[in-house]
Amino acid sequence: MATASSAIVKPARRGATLSQRRMIAGLLFVLPAVIFTLTMFIFPLIMTGWMSLHNWPLLGQATFLGLQNYVDMINDHQFWASLWFTTQYTLLVTPPIFILAFALALLVNTALRGVGVFRTIYFIPVVIGLGTSSLLWVWLLNDRVGIINGILLDLNLIERPIIWLVDKNLAMFAIIVSIVWKTVGFSMILLLAGMQAIPDELYQAAEVDGASYWQRLTHIMLPLLRSTFALALVLSVIGSYLAFDQFYIMTRGGPQNQTITAVYWIFNNSFTYYKLGYGAALSIVLLVILGVLSIIQLRVLRDETTY
Amino acid sequence: MQRLSKLLVVLSLIAVLALAACTAPAAAPTGEQAAAGGQAAGGVTMSFWTRDSNQEQVRALVDAWNESHPNKIEITVIPASEYMTKVGASVGAGAPPDLMAVDLIYVPQFAAAGQLTDITDLAKALPYFEQLSPSHVRLATYDGKIFGLPFNAEGSYLMYNKGLFKQAGLDPENPPKTWGEIADAAAKIRALGDDIYGFYFSGSCAGCNAFTFMPLIWASGGDVLSDDGATATLTDPNVAAALEFYRQMWADDLIPPGARADTGTDFANAFTTGKIGMVGTGAFAINNIKTNFPEIEFGATFLPGAEGGASSFAGGDSIAIPAGSKYPNEAFEFIKWATSDEVQLEYYAKLNNLPVRTDLAKNEYFAADPRLTVAAEAMAMGKTPYTVVYNQLFNDANGPWLKMIQTAVFDGKVEEAVNTAQEEFTKILSGQ
Repeated sequence: MATASSAIVKPARRGATLSQRRMIAGLLFVLPAVIFTLTMFIFPLIMTGWMSLHNWPLLGQATFLGLQNYVDMINDHQFWASLWFTTQYTLLVTPPIFILAFALALLVNTALRGVGVFRTIYFIPVVIGLGTSSLLWVWLLNDRVGIINGILLDLNLIERPIIWLVDKNLAMFAIIVSIVWKTVGFSMILLLAGMQAIPDELYQAAEVDGASYWQRLTHIMLPLLRSTFALALVLSVIGSYLAFDQFYIMTRGGPQNQTITAVYWIFNNSFTYYKLGYGAALSIVLLVILGVLSIIQLRVLRDETTY
Repeated sequence: MQRLSKLLVVLSLIAVLALAACTAPAAAPTGEQAAAGGQAAGGVTMSFWTRDSNQEQVRALVDAWNESHPNKIEITVIPASEYMTKVGASVGAGAPPDLMAVDLIYVPQFAAAGQLTDITDLAKALPYFEQLSPSHVRLATYDGKIFGLPFNAEGSYLMYNKGLFKQAGLDPENPPKTWGEIADAAAKIRALGDDIYGFYFSGSCAGCNAFTFMPLIWASGGDVLSDDGATATLTDPNVAAALEFYRQMWADDLIPPGARADTGTDFANAFTTGKIGMVGTGAFAINNIKTNFPEIEFGATFLPGAEGGASSFAGGDSIAIPAGSKYPNEAFEFIKWATSDEVQLEYYAKLNNLPVRTDLAKNEYFAADPRLTVAAEAMAMGKTPYTVVYNQLFNDANGPWLKMIQTAVFDGKVEEAVNTAQEEFTKILSGQ
């Protein structure tokens, strides 16, 4: 590495103009990031694409199939069911995350003393690993020792403990609650950053013009938060589309395989059935779908405001 | 943020596998190999991979070997859930360990892919070859050749709470010997109180039920696969009968409602609450309860058939020499040593581990605890399905085996469950 970079630098010192030297220095600064992206993303991506054209078992030789894996997907009912389920999940989990995140961001976007404590509290679940938090919720929801059933029983709201994770709708509800709890802090921080980037003068000017709090909110803050919303939404939707841990741990895809997400199906094919080639093909398709979804969202929420 | 990078993780996992499969030096997770290699005066150092599930036993065993032999063994412990992918990657890269222990159900898959060394002659020359766990040997046999030998044994049996048996007016020294007797005992125990249940099983755990439910079918004379593993036999009436037995107990409220959601997290714990009458379990549970829950008085008996008989799921690890092993002969010396009388008694039985030999099921160390003898004898008569697609058929949480049990027991549709599972099994088996 050292020899390679000095080889690049030396000729630049001799005859290069200032702007060329600056450019090379700039390139050197981004080099680590470029190498990281190449080895951790671009190369694995190419490899995945290559694998997706093969019957690639865990043990034994891979054989070239061409596009057969992609053709097989058409008749893979579970794949389509998983995609549809993932879409449903994303549609259900996104609104509560955003409404709550926006409300929390408004609450903590004040100069009151001690507000930082609340920011931290809301953000703490984001720091916990998703696997850990899912296990935590499994125990919270447990019928014998879980505190949630305990509270509901003590309040006489239910007569018998609820077995949350064996019914598709109850399980979906429980998982959505757990994920909102887990991720709302992240969206809150993004929105908060967006709110704080809006210059105070705008609000002051509006206030002078007699605008109410509600008017300032809807006519100044919301429009100016557009690009922040776009970013938070894209990140959240991608995250939801890639949901795996919470379903793997909390429902194991059950009951009756009704909660298998797209990534879960990729995992099953790759690491349960050891069909690595098919798993790779599924990954590629999911990547394309996510790319398209992200482009659409960014287009819709494109923001040309400058201040 | 973790969710954001999930696709990346999946992609890179696959890519890492692929990388390892394409380039020569695999990232073998060993650190001290070079250092240790120099120290073995006159001997070689063999790499040995094992899964974490039974690492204490394996470590003690390897330490004992290293103290008394010039050829050293260096052990690498890999989490059980990643074991197959790690081994698969290293084998594909042409850099496998010299020796490996692997869950016996996967041995046919390895053998079929040509990844193991044929040890038929060496194995058959062992004086105690006929006494080695028959299920392990059967699964390690492919095309008439032997590719592995038993290394670690586990047998399923019925564990019951003697205290609850007494309270319910049942004879704790005379445990149930048929399904009817299990159901009767469960009903009497259930009557003891609101939170006391007669029976338990992990309703959302595929592997747990292969281990504890399948023996009920075998003990009645039925089976789930043909002997050669090529055909599904789930339409065997004994399968439907066993499902009906569970379904009735579920319908009669003899099983805790939460059992339905248990993905295996409670498999070992439910019984330790002291509020469960009976549960199918393995030898591992004996030590755990004796050590951590001494207040629970429990017994062990065989998993019975509908009208009697007994069976067990013989589990555990086999030990095999990967096809690319650098020291196959030295490696076999270790296998031979590990299965010898002295080691089986002093490093297996004495430490409360089941011997892998049927002739040692009864031994001086187990005499003090007849429950261990029950587990060892269960293992000795135990069976294991022979198939190269075990994971897909039985271990998959979203696969046909668990779906069959859930549809039959919880939804009450026994016939539909059996027919669907038979179809799905056939589909998977034909795709080999």
